[in-house]
Amino acid sequence: MDMTPAIAIRGLTKDFRVSGSSKRLRAVDNLSLEIHRNSIYGLLGPNGSGKSTTIKIALGLVEPSVGECEVLGIPSTNPAARTNVGYLPEAPYFQRFLTGRELLKYFGCLSNVPKEKIQKRIEYLLNRVGLEDAGNRRVGGYSKGMLQRIGLAQALVGNPDLLVLDEPTAGVDPVGAAEIASLILELKKEGKTVLLCSHLLSQVESVCDRVAIMGRGRLLMEGSVDTLTQEEGCSSMRIDQVSSELRGSVEQLAKKHGGLVSSPSRSLEELFLELANKKDER
Amino acid sequence: MLSWSISRVVTIGLNTFREAVRMKLFIAMTILAMCTLASSFLFREFNFGSSELKFIADFGFGGMTVFGSALAVIVTAQLFYGEIEHRTALTLLAKPIHRSEFVLGKFFGSWATVTCFLGMLSVCLVFVLWFRETSILEEYPDEFEGGRRIVQYGEIVWFSVVQVFRIGILCSVVILFSTYATSSLFAMVMGVLVWIVGQLQHIAIEARGVVDNLILKSVYAFASFALPNFHLFDVGEKLALGESLPSSVYLKLFVYAFLYSSFYLAVASASFNRREL
Repeated sequence: MDMTPAIAIRGLTKDFRVSGSSKRLRAVDNLSLEIHRNSIYGLLGPNGSGKSTTIKIALGLVEPSVGECEVLGIPSTNPAARTNVGYLPEAPYFQRFLTGRELLKYFGCLSNVPKEKIQKRIEYLLNRVGLEDAGNRRVGGYSKGMLQRIGLAQALVGNPDLLVLDEPTAGVDPVGAAEIASLILELKKEGKTVLLCSHLLSQVESVCDRVAIMGRGRLLMEGSVDTLTQEEGCSSMRIDQVSSELRGSVEQLAKKHGGLVSSPSRSLEELFLELANKKDER
Repeated sequence: MLSWSISRVVTIGLNTFREAVRMKLFIAMTILAMCTLASSFLFREFNFGSSELKFIADFGFGGMTVFGSALAVIVTAQLFYGEIEHRTALTLLAKPIHRSEFVLGKFFGSWATVTCFLGMLSVCLVFVLWFRETSILEEYPDEFEGGRRIVQYGEIVWFSVVQVFRIGILCSVVILFSTYATSSLFAMVMGVLVWIVGQLQHIAIEARGVVDNLILKSVYAFASFALPNFHLFDVGEKLALGESLPSSVYLKLFVYAFLYSSFYLAVASASFNRREL
C-alpha cells in the first residue's frame, strides 16, 4: 500500500487581497496537517475559519501564498494531482440544462473514464445514490437533496482514491443523511480516503477517524475523535455485561477513594462549541 | 504531468454547444433573425424588379453581421462567465483538466453556436433570394440576360464563411474579458466596445499616418495592432454586386482571424490561469 499521505499540507498560508484596499485578509494561517490514506478525515470549523480555502487550495482552484500542499504525492497546483480526486462542492450547482445521466457522462469523460465503461458506471452510480428513476430528468428540476446525491455520483464517477466532500448532507433529510453516512463508510471499506467538511457534528463523530478543528485560519486541534473527546484529567472505564450490584460496588469503591464518577467523554459538538467560544473570547 | 488533451477540449466544447442551443435566448435570437430575413419578402411591394434582389442580399448580409455579432458577444459571455457566476466552474476545474483546455473548449463551443446560427441564416437568405428571383424571373424576364439567374448563391456561402472568421475573433475577445471580469455584463460591454472600435479601426490606421503628435500616433498604432480590423470582413457589398473575390482574399482573412483569435485566447488562458475561483 502506498504510504504517501492522501493530502499533505505544510506551513500553508493564504492571503486574499481586499478589493479597494491595500489590506490583505489572511484566510489560512500556517496550517500543517496530513491526511492518511484509507481514512475518513473531518475538517471542522465555524464559517470563515478557512476550511473552504484549504479545500480549494488542495483542488488547485486557489494558489497558496506560502507553504505547500500535496495531493496523493503531487503538488496541488499541478492538474495531474486531481486525476484521482472526486469533489462535491458545498451547495452544488451543476449544469441545470443537463439531465442526471448527461451530467455524469460529461464529468465521466473529463475524469478519463473509458468510453466503453462509462454507461455501466453511470447506471451503477445512479443506483448507488438512489437516483435511477430521475436520471433522465434535468438537473435544474432536482430538489436540494437530489442535487447532493447527483453531486456525490459525479464525485465518484472517475472511481477516485480521494474524495473531498464539502457538506454532503446539507439539505438532505435525516434518512438521506444516514444513507450518505453509510456510503462514506462503505467508501472507506473500498480503500478510499474521504476528506469530509460538515456542520453535522454527530455525523462527523460517527464516521471520521481523525478530525481537525480550524478557527480564523489556524489549526486549533487535531487528532482522533476518541482522543479529542476525552476530557483532560479523566480516564474512562467501560463496564458492560455486569450486574447492577457489581456496577454499584465499583462506583462506591471509586467514591470511597475520592474519585468522581461521571460520564467522562464529551461530544464532538460540545468540544466544537467550546473551541468556537474560546476563539470569540480572544 | 497531465498531458494536454484535445478530447477534453472537444468534450467541454460539445457541452458548451449543447448548453447554448438549449438556451431560450439562442432560440429567440434565431427566430427573430429569421423573421427579419423573411420580412424582406415585404420589399416586393415596392416593385424593384431585379434590383430588389441586391436589396434583399444587402439586407440579409447586414442582418447576419449584426445578429451574428450580437449573439457572439451575449452567448460567449453567458457561456464562459456563467460557469464562474453559477459556480459550476468549481466542480469542472476540480477535475483533471488544464485551464487552457477549459478556455479553448468554451471558445469552440461558443464559436460553433454562432456558426450554426449563421448557417441557418444563410439557408434562410438563400431560400428568400431564390424564391424572389424565381418570381421576378417570371414577372420581368427582360431583366435577366438569356433568362439566366443573376444571384450567385455560392457567394452567399462565402460571405457566411467570412463572417464565421469575424465571429471567431469576437468570441475570443469576449472570452479574454470574461477571464478577469467580475460580471458577465462587463464582458458583454467590453465585447461590444471592441466590436464597435474594430468596425471603425480603419480610421485609426488612416489617422496614424496623418497625425504628428507622438502620443496620439502611439495610441493609434496600438489600436491598429492590438485591436482587430473588422472592416476587412465587410465583403458583402462586393459579393452582393455579383463580384467574386479571389480565393487569396479568403485565405488572408482566415490567417488574419486565426492569428488574432490565437493571440486573444493565449492571453485569456494566461489570465484565467491566475484567476482564483
